Amino acid sequence: MFNLNRLDISWIILMLITLANAFIAETADPHIFITAVICFSIAYKGRRVMDHFMELNYANKTIALLMRSYFYIFPLLIFLTDMFSEQLAELTSLT
Amino acid sequence: MNSLLIAPFYLNGCGSVINEPETRNKIPGNRAIWVGIFAEMTEFAMFFIVYFIAKAHYPEQFSQGPLHLNTLAGTLNTIALITSSYFVAKALFAIRQGNKNQSIKWLWAAVSAGVLYLMIKIWEYYWNSSHGIHSDTNSFYTMYYYMTFNHLLHVGWASGSLLWAIKQLKSGYYTQENHVGLTAIASYWHMVDLAWIIIFPLLYVLR
Repeated sequence: MFNLNRLDISWIILMLITLANAFIAETADPHIFITAVICFSIAYKGRRVMDHFMELNYANKTIALLMRSYFYIFPLLIFLTDMFSEQLAELTSLT
Repeated sequence: MNSLLIAPFYLNGCGSVINEPETRNKIPGNRAIWVGIFAEMTEFAMFFIVYFIAKAHYPEQFSQGPLHLNTLAGTLNTIALITSSYFVAKALFAIRQGNKNQSIKWLWAAVSAGVLYLMIKIWEYYWNSSHGIHSDTNSFYTMYYYMTFNHLLHVGWASGSLLWAIKQLKSGYYTQENHVGLTAIASYWHMVDLAWIIIFPLLYVLR
């Protein structure tokens, strides 16, 4: 009989999400919905590792806030740069 | 009464520990490691921003690039890194329970996963080369090599830090009562894993 704790469950969830990501990479065509799903999976995986492997859910609040912010900001940036790629290209053109 | 005292100290592993875990309401490890971790996260943030800008300027290259990469290698690398993080978390929990030998075993397992990651990466680079993918092929592959090689270096020296932790455990410097150094090394290792959690979809999944 398996006795799974939070670490084991986190590892299983992270494996399943990774395999789902690989499946998407091999089969799905580019679409903003796919980008949204991937961004959500990045945020969720990051949070899972930070809370359950790094134990930031119990740790110093400032450290936890800064680390969690990183995994809110970058998935959001990935999504926004996909949505507004032309504007970003214009904004960052030298000519 | 005793169970009331022990219960709050249950963290993420199985069972409970008598001493208050060093991560509870504190900086995990020490301040120095977190200066390092935030510096590394800032470095990776710069890479990601450069990636966003390059992708906006060369959408065709960034759309086609992932199709020609070895997704299996990327996926296996992700599995190896997440699994190694899991092993490191297990090692930390084992030392909290005073089980030094078990902690050393988990750390060896983590080092093995780190070595597996490095071997897969080397195989992937050979595979790329044999398929005509080089760092100067186009902007996407330049970003790919820049990010993945940089990350590979981090895995390399972080694996070295795990070996150091094993040595400290064997020497008796890390104990059930005092293992802040191991917590710091574990935090750094998890950071390396976190960076890959963003890199993998950027390079292999998103088009």
